[in-house]
Amino acid sequence: MLARLSNTKALHWLGRQLLNRDNPAGYFDPLAEAINPMWVQEYTPARVENIINETADTKTFVLKPAKRWAGFQAGQHVNICTDIEGVRRTRTFSLSSSPLLWQSEGQITLTIKRLPGGLVTNWMHDALQPGDVIGLTEAFGEFLIPEPAHPVLFIAGGSGITPILSQLQTMAAEDYRAPVTLLYYVRTHNDVIAREALQALAARWPALSLTIIATNESDEPRYLRDSDLETVAGIKAREVFLCGPKGLMDLATDLLAKRGLKEKQMHSTFFAPPAQASLDSDQLGGEVTFSNSNLKVGSEGDANLLEIAEAAGLKPQYGCRMGICHQCSCRKTSGIVVNRLTGKVSGPGEEPVQLCVSVPQGPVALDV
Amino acid sequence: MKKLNEDQLNELQKDLDAIRDEVIADLGERDAKYIRKIIRLHRTLEVGGRVMMPFGFIPPVFVAATATLGIAKIIENMEIGHNVMHGQYDWMNDPALNSQTYEWDTVCTSDSWRRTHNYEHHTYTNIIGKDRDYGYAVLRLSDDVKWHPGHLLQFINYILLTVLFQWGVGVHELESEKIRRGELRWRDKLPFLKDFVRKGGRQGFKDYVFFPLLTLPVAPIVLAGNVGANLIRNIWASTVIFCGHFTQDAETFTEEECEGESKGHWYLRQLTGSSNFTGGKWLHVLSGHLSYQIEHHVFPDLPAHRYPEISEKVQAVCEKYDIPYNTGSFAKQYGTVLKRIGKFSLPDVVRTRLEGKRELQAI
Repeated sequence: MLARLSNTKALHWLGRQLLNRDNPAGYFDPLAEAINPMWVQEYTPARVENIINETADTKTFVLKPAKRWAGFQAGQHVNICTDIEGVRRTRTFSLSSSPLLWQSEGQITLTIKRLPGGLVTNWMHDALQPGDVIGLTEAFGEFLIPEPAHPVLFIAGGSGITPILSQLQTMAAEDYRAPVTLLYYVRTHNDVIAREALQALAARWPALSLTIIATNESDEPRYLRDSDLETVAGIKAREVFLCGPKGLMDLATDLLAKRGLKEKQMHSTFFAPPAQASLDSDQLGGEVTFSNSNLKVGSEGDANLLEIAEAAGLKPQYGCRMGICHQCSCRKTSGIVVNRLTGKVSGPGEEPVQLCVSVPQGPVALDV
Repeated sequence: MKKLNEDQLNELQKDLDAIRDEVIADLGERDAKYIRKIIRLHRTLEVGGRVMMPFGFIPPVFVAATATLGIAKIIENMEIGHNVMHGQYDWMNDPALNSQTYEWDTVCTSDSWRRTHNYEHHTYTNIIGKDRDYGYAVLRLSDDVKWHPGHLLQFINYILLTVLFQWGVGVHELESEKIRRGELRWRDKLPFLKDFVRKGGRQGFKDYVFFPLLTLPVAPIVLAGNVGANLIRNIWASTVIFCGHFTQDAETFTEEECEGESKGHWYLRQLTGSSNFTGGKWLHVLSGHLSYQIEHHVFPDLPAHRYPEISEKVQAVCEKYDIPYNTGSFAKQYGTVLKRIGKFSLPDVVRTRLEGKRELQAI
């Protein structure tokens, strides 16, 4: 380990001397990519091995990451990156397979619903083919199976089932020794993702009780109600995992709190659809988080990020203040900004922005 | 400088913005493919040059290896590094092509370059006293600077600057002329000097220590080849850059006329202060498309390989406002640069008399 560490350090030093970069291997990526995209070093490449249709708008992508990928725990997410029309796009998805599949077959799966108007999900559904290679980051996330075993309640909505699929398969394989309940809300019964896998799990693993509820099959929508929770035995002692649309999560949190469950018993992970773009000046402004400076400030109207940063006492690097020199470009980690010069509205994800011509539209987080 | 009224300047801005918007809306796969292709070419040339170099004891191989490595450095500096650092490819969101983190294969640190070139030179282009790239504080290239006898020898300075160009660019931000005049103290420049020594040391170590030692039995050959490759890059880069702003008709400006200027006025200054040269496709690639210096100065953050495509539109705008569009063959443009360096090395009295004579002959 120590030898490897000093080895990497020496390599990084040499990389900086010879190639002016910290990761010497990445220097050869452009050549490697042309020969075999699985040799790329900058991210972990993963080859698409198979694509399975789950429902009309959901597919499962079976991926084989390069061997150096470090693996994951059930319930974690991963960022994928891919170039679409020349632009590197990064998105977060939950791993839907059990870590056991990675350990035995070297495979992982992502189960992805097509978002109306979504750039990356639509591209994955329409353009991505078996044999293609996309990039992965290491897995992350704290949506983890309780250890030691503890009674669990999962509440999932729509494609929010994906991290829970990974957890259920892992728990079943370990023969998890506490009661597990899944309340799974879907629009109609045609929208159930991984129905067969879920039913097979429930059949061979007695600890699991599975309830699938369709919300939009009758005239009146049938959302989560308190009587659904009534059926869960010993609910007050359960660890609750919530994953789904915001409406469902808010409703569930509310009802659970009324039943006396504590906040630390509830674990949730968000699947928020990207906010609608708008150019109305009364919609501009928002809270700006400067992550590197541990600072959050509000902003109003068409103040640009550079002005906001300076008003907050920060001194980001800048130059012309008119969008020419890119001296003030820095990384936006989340949130939407409007380019003052072009009126163009950015995506919600990670990308470089020019502070002096970018106006926040809603909350924005920056590496400043 | 060509004078336009406020309305014309606003209209000029609109016309040029329209050209820019059209390109921005069209950015995509084609641009990504282009820059990736150039990067693959650079990697191939650099690896090829380095591998061939130890076999340089065979004379034709020495020439091929030195030229290959020299061209690799030219492509990396001019078509990749310079353009990436302008933010031309930031929209690709590729961390390896990010304007703020890219570090290039030359002595000047990218941070220093972004300050002196992207900000100072591109914002204050050709404003005497504010754009330190105008003559690099060692050459007198216009009569805005008072003549003194030292200028008589400035042709030697020019040759030295060209041969040692990467070191000259590297120390540019030291602002030694301001230190000499007592406007700055050495102490103020310590952080800069530290960075300069680190990056300069790194570049020297690589080409003049590491690779020669790696191939010890033929170290002198590898050293000579690496010196040659750096020299090729230095001379070429310097020549291309001098053709961009120091040709005969490239204009200079005073601080007063640019105070509080509008974007339209800034555009006008970029159009009249820059000059192009013509040539084949490879001449443009090897100059990082600075052969389209006018287009580059008007749109510094559009991918440079787009300049040839928008050149006609820019020329049409120039024609509309009767703004001169300064272009000519490489030889012609470079000839006027040499003439300018020579001309302004002379005292004003001698220079004007010589110029007067020529004008008389012309009549």
